[in-house]
Order: sequence, then structure tokens, then C-alpha cells
Amino acid sequence: MILRLAFASLMARALTVAMTILAIALSVALFLGVEKVRTGAKASFADTISGTDLIVGARSGSVQLLLYSVFRIGNATNNMTWESYRDIEARPDVDWIVPVSLGDSHRQFRVMGTTTAFFDRYKYRSGQSLSIRDGQVMDDLFDTVIGADVAETLGYETGDPIVVAHGLASFIEHDYQPFRVSGILAKTGTPVDRTVIVSLKAIEAIHVDWQSGVKIPGQSTPVDVIRQLDLEPQAVTAALIGVKSRLQVFGLQRAINEYQQEPLLAILPGVALQELWQIVGIAETALIAVSGMVVVTALIGMMATIFASLNERRREMAIFRAMGARPRTITGLLVLEAALMAALGAVIGLALLYVGLAIAQPVVDRAFGLWLPVEAPTLREFSVLAGVVCAGVIVSMVPAVRAYRMSLADGMMVRI
Amino acid sequence: MKPLPLALLMSLIAAAAYAGETRQLDAHEHGVGQLDIAFESSQIAMELHAPGADIVGFEYAAESAGDRAKVDSAVALLARPLDLFSLPEAAKCTVVQASAELESEAAHDKHEENHAHDDHKHDEHAHEDHAEHTDEDHAAHSEKSGHTEFHAEYLLNCADPAAVSVIEFAYFTAFPNALELEVQVISNTGASAFEVTRDAPVLDLRGMF
Repeated sequence: MILRLAFASLMARALTVAMTILAIALSVALFLGVEKVRTGAKASFADTISGTDLIVGARSGSVQLLLYSVFRIGNATNNMTWESYRDIEARPDVDWIVPVSLGDSHRQFRVMGTTTAFFDRYKYRSGQSLSIRDGQVMDDLFDTVIGADVAETLGYETGDPIVVAHGLASFIEHDYQPFRVSGILAKTGTPVDRTVIVSLKAIEAIHVDWQSGVKIPGQSTPVDVIRQLDLEPQAVTAALIGVKSRLQVFGLQRAINEYQQEPLLAILPGVALQELWQIVGIAETALIAVSGMVVVTALIGMMATIFASLNERRREMAIFRAMGARPRTITGLLVLEAALMAALGAVIGLALLYVGLAIAQPVVDRAFGLWLPVEAPTLREFSVLAGVVCAGVIVSMVPAVRAYRMSLADGMMVRI
Repeated sequence: MKPLPLALLMSLIAAAAYAGETRQLDAHEHGVGQLDIAFESSQIAMELHAPGADIVGFEYAAESAGDRAKVDSAVALLARPLDLFSLPEAAKCTVVQASAELESEAAHDKHEENHAHDDHKHDEHAHEDHAEHTDEDHAAHSEKSGHTEFHAEYLLNCADPAAVSVIEFAYFTAFPNALELEVQVISNTGASAFEVTRDAPVLDLRGMF
């Protein structure tokens, strides 16, 4: 009975109520959206590397090393010499080591030089291996394997020739070496999707006619001469390492960090990631706080509209009272109306979130490489929604108590 | 004018030798030690690095009988891992191997040079330094001759390593100068870092299995 009354009363003021509900819905969608992006980003980062025990690079910071070697964010301060790489490779506790050589680009995508072992050793999303969607792993000096996003964005098929440019935003292109797409990787949701993979030797081959970052004028070595050259790399950017036994990880890490011949740094990917979250944590908290405040603002807005409506409804309330409604009923009516508005707002907010996710998902993935999963709401999200409804009820108590006190006297009195 | 070219040559050699040296020092923070724990099937390997200041309260070479005794008892204590890091009974862990030692992290170049040139004199000098241990002396000293670090390695065998969900650090009661341990743990779920402090001397490893 009272529910029907509340509903009818809301319908009678449909426009104001709709606006209030919209405000709540938007704020709820924002709050849940921030949460989604936050957990999505974390999961997407954490899923990017798995199965690698150590990452080695020039001595800098662990977060920096992790970011440039795995996420292709930022640049290396220094390279690591090939001799050191071989030294580490020769250590008895090293099971496998995969070099990573960065610094060149193809259009907006980074080129990574590595060995074919990368395809076996690189694991993502708790142990999943890379798989080739089309074609095969590089086999010739000028073969490249491209990530799914590279293929999609640039419309490449296997067998297409491509040109690799030197430096990241360079206009000069290494247009003398005809690279060819030999394989396309299946989508992984990691930075590998946006990478052009070539062999380490190919990276050297690109730079045959280059000295100190400048092309030697008038010089261009024909492809078949390059093939004859000894293309032993001088340096790599970083290396991924797997150890034979986990018990040796820390010993190896220490040995690399204390390596006398070259300042090197070995990091545990999981630990470096944790450090990164500690840094990002402050911003995250701020973001959550701001979106939480938006929800509070929307609820206060609802309180304001209820207060405003009390004035309009003075007579209505008085009539209820005159017809025998207890003051408690009036209070209940107002609280129920508020709860209905908050609940509707929460539900619409949730719906908005999913619509937004569905629209934003491919865009965000393409722009930031961030995969936001569209999943059923978690318990945490339901508790947020329940929290919003509860907060709505609590907030509505203020005008409800006022109505409780005034309902009879106020409405019956004739104002002059 | 004969000696001059020789002198020149000597100085050149010295310069070349100097240029070839590498100089690096580990980070060293008093009160903060490192503990690495690795889980592999039934074995747990632990490695502890703690500044001398944390363990015995000083970092100069122990000269007096009292200081030596302190170092000896600390090393003996560090060689008993289960007394310092108590694992749950259910895990049924036994010590397979435990070793502890005091490493002096010498400030490489200068220090070593001194050693090479005149070992005896250097020792005397160090001795003097400590005999009259003023604040200024200490500052100059610590700049000159690096820090000391205790290093311990343990290998444990556990019947049920997954039962090691929590480690209590009696370490902090044993060494009143130690304030914090930076712990890195690696297990089959990956690597993770923790901080265990004197105020909260418990490591929760439930997420690692």
C-alpha cells in the first residue's frame, strides 16, 4: 500500500525525480568505472609477464627496468653489453635467457630484437604461451613476426614487406633492408600485440650502414653482402631469465647486482610490479576518493530535492495525517521514496557502466593496451550498490524527520 | 734526467691501473636488513643480510675480547634459523643446512690499496681509531672503511611447506637494534615483497600458495 503510494508520488514528480536518479546513476557509474579501470589495469599489468624469474638490464630502477623491458614504456638508460649477456648465460644456475633489444620502430610500433626462444619462454596470463595465428616464427634474417594489433592497425598479411625505422620517432627509415612479415601472433592483451619482433641479427643488420645514429652518406650495403657479414650483436637492452631451481633465484639476483665488470640490475618481475603499485597507489586512492565524493554529492542533491518537495507537499502530508496516517507513516513514505530513487539510480548506474564498458572496451584496448573485462558484477560491486541505497536512506532521514515534526501543524495552518 | 721518464711511466701505469678499477658499494641502511625466502617443492631456502649495526651494534672490526664475543655469539645465534624465524609446527621443518658469517663490506679502492701497500700499518691505524672513539673519528672512519654485514644462508626441509602460512620473527627480540626486514618471497605463484617491522614482526604468506 505504502509502496504503491511512494511509487505514485514519485511518478507525480517524474521530471525532478528522473533528474535526481540520473545524477545518482552517473555518480554510481563513475565510481564503479574507476574501480573497473583500476582493477583492470592491475590485472592487465600482472598478466603481462609470467614464468620469468628475473629481468636483467642496465642498472637503473627496478620499476623503470620492468616498464621498458616488458611494457615498452619509457626508454633504457643504458644497454647491457653482449659480453655480460654471455657471461650470465654461461652461469650454471641459468636455465634459459632471452635477450630483448629495443630502440627501433615500425610506424608507431616498437621493434624488438630477440631470439626464437622468446616464443617458447615468454609467458603471459599465468603461464600461457604465445601462439602464431598465421605464418611461422622468423626463420630468415629479414623475417619479422608481428603482434595482433600491428597486423590489424596496419592491415598486414604474412608475406608483406615492411620497413623498419631507426629510433622511435625518426623520419629516416632503414629503407634498404627489405623486411618481410613471416608470422602474425594471436591476440594476447599484452604489449606483445603492439610489437614487431625481429631476430637480434636483424637489429644489427639494420644498422650496418649507420654510425653513431647517423646514416653514413652514400653508403648502402646490398642485402646479400649484409647476409655475409658477422652480425654478432654488441649489446642488448635487457634479458629475461629463467633459473633451474627457484632456490637459486636470489643468489643469481645478488650475483648479477654485484657483477663487477658492468653495472647491471636483476629484478623479480612480481616484486617490481608491487613497487609500481605502491607508487601508483596514492593516485588510485585519490581517484577513488574523488569518485566517492561524486556519489556523496549526488545523494546530497537528492536530499535537497526531497527538502524542496516537502514545501510543495505540505498539503498532501496534512491530508494524509488528517485521514489517519501516523507521523511514522509519513516518515516511512519519504524514506521509501528516497530508497527507491537510490536503488533505481544504482541499477541504472550499473547498466550505464556496462553500456560504457561495451563501447569503451575496444577503444581503450587499442589506445592504451588495457583490456577491461566485461564480467558479472562482483560481490564488491554489489556491496557498493547496497551502500549507495543505504546512504540514500540515511540521507533522506533528515527531511523525513522534519516532515514527521511538521506534517500536521504546518499543512493545516493557513498562511497569511 | 734519467729518472724522469721512469717516474712518468710509473705514474702512467698507476693512472691506467686506477682507470681500470670499478668502484661500487651496496646500499646499506642501519636498522634494515634483507631476507629472501624461496620455496621449491619441499625445500625452503632463506638468505639473510643484516647490517652489523643491527646484529651486534657496531660495525668496526671487533678488536676487544668483548666485541669478539659479541660477534661470535651473534654468528652462533644466526646459525639457528628456526629460533629466529619460527615456522608453524604443522609444516614440520628441519634445518638441512645453516651458515652465518660476518662480511666486512670494505670500501673497495682506497681500503684495498692501503692493504696492499702496508697491511700492518693500516691495522694499527684502525686500532688507534677505535681506541679513542670520538664522534668525529667515527664519522671519518665510517667514510673510510665501509660497513660490515652479517650474512646467513639456510636451507630447510619441510614435510608440508604449504603449511608455512605465517612466519613469526623472533629475530627482532634476539637483535634489539634491528628495526625492519625487507622480505622477498618467491614461490610457485610468483615473487612478492613484504616489509616486516619490529612493531609487526609477523609475515603472512597465505597468498603465496
